[in-house]
Amino acid sequence: MVDKTKLVVSFAPFWHNGNRVTDRSLQIILAALPAALFGVYRFGFSALSVLALAVSSAVLWELAFTRVAKRPVSVGDGTAAVIGLLFGMMLPANLPWWAVITGTFLAIVVARQIYGGIGANPFNPAAVAVAILMLAWKNRMDFDTALVNYVFDFSAAFPLAAAKALGANAVKDLSLADLFWGRQAGGIGTICGAGLLAGGVYLVLRGIIRWEIPVSFLLGVAATAAIFHAADPVRFAPPAFHILTGFTLFGAFFLATEDSSSPVNFIPMLIYGAVIGSIAVLIRNIGVFAEGLVFAVMVGNLIQPLLDKIRPKALGKVA
Amino acid sequence: MMFSRGELKIVYGWTIGLLVIAVVSYAALPSTSPDRPIRIAFQTVAGKVIFDHHRHLIESGYGLSCGECHHTLSPDEYSQAGSCTECHQLEEGDEDVPKRSDALHQQCIGCHREYGGGPTECAQCHVMQ
Repeated sequence: MVDKTKLVVSFAPFWHNGNRVTDRSLQIILAALPAALFGVYRFGFSALSVLALAVSSAVLWELAFTRVAKRPVSVGDGTAAVIGLLFGMMLPANLPWWAVITGTFLAIVVARQIYGGIGANPFNPAAVAVAILMLAWKNRMDFDTALVNYVFDFSAAFPLAAAKALGANAVKDLSLADLFWGRQAGGIGTICGAGLLAGGVYLVLRGIIRWEIPVSFLLGVAATAAIFHAADPVRFAPPAFHILTGFTLFGAFFLATEDSSSPVNFIPMLIYGAVIGSIAVLIRNIGVFAEGLVFAVMVGNLIQPLLDKIRPKALGKVA
Repeated sequence: MMFSRGELKIVYGWTIGLLVIAVVSYAALPSTSPDRPIRIAFQTVAGKVIFDHHRHLIESGYGLSCGECHHTLSPDEYSQAGSCTECHQLEEGDEDVPKRSDALHQQCIGCHREYGGGPTECAQCHVMQ
């Protein structure tokens, strides 16, 4: 029997609980900052210039589009800045300025505003922009080729590219602790596992993102990588390696959890996360790209409306 | 409107500030390569090859002097070391001048064999994508 007291709603006036879009944006930016600042520490001023340009140009594209389309100014909610920051964190530290502003145009205008702006984008805007840049400027987005002029005191090879080309043996000497603490090549804000995990847990605790998506995402990565590794340990790297390299932690906490392109119900969230995690590893192990996580996120976004059909039956509705 | 006027001003302020930082740091950091490359990415028909120039040079690495690889150049010419054809007059069938790929293969694999270290098999350097 349904507990009817749960369905009783009091009369107006109601009191807003204080949740605001601007606060959510601010919390996401705060959560992303540790990993982003670590990237600036690791790659220097060039990383700062990429991040600064990504955030500012994302806001300016949104401002420009809302002006042209005669829509109300929307940059004050901070969502454009969030998209710019997340997009910038996935880039190599020396990406030229024209590629950065092309990317923010793709994220803000093509992947978001054309669909109607906040809450209406079917795909994660930052993932769409990175995916298009990866296809358009392959060498610029290839971490091995892009980062040739940086001196590191650790292996400068992008771990996932090394594992894909040379097999698990090429990366077996990489210490997991080193990977976790950001001693690896990769995107500006995606190399520091510790920062990403701290930011992600903060967002979960603050209720900004739901734990179901990152947890099922990481389980999906781990399970799929474990199957491959068990089948051929020489060719395929173990699960812990896949979790700590590339965009995995960044994707789990910051990409897959994007509001408008992720499901809202419990079981759909679990399926959604697990699907993205396993497709990400499939692309890495048997696909074309060394790191194709943004494509996996877009596949997840694509099936999200279908997944959300799995929901509780409406009360009182006759079948 | 989902935000206050004050918040909009804060976003404008940060945007202008970050744009200035971006313009200044992009202008201050030209993207030219250093005189002594750190790593060199060769795009070849057999995939990509990343050569760690820095490690071959430094004392804690292999400590090679420039002339051991860049054969006939004087020290002040090393930074201008470009393609083989800048010095060699390449003519069809000229057997004295090896192709770039042959020269590099000979240089890398020859040295690695001689000193018993470093990659000598194709897939250890060539990354096929």
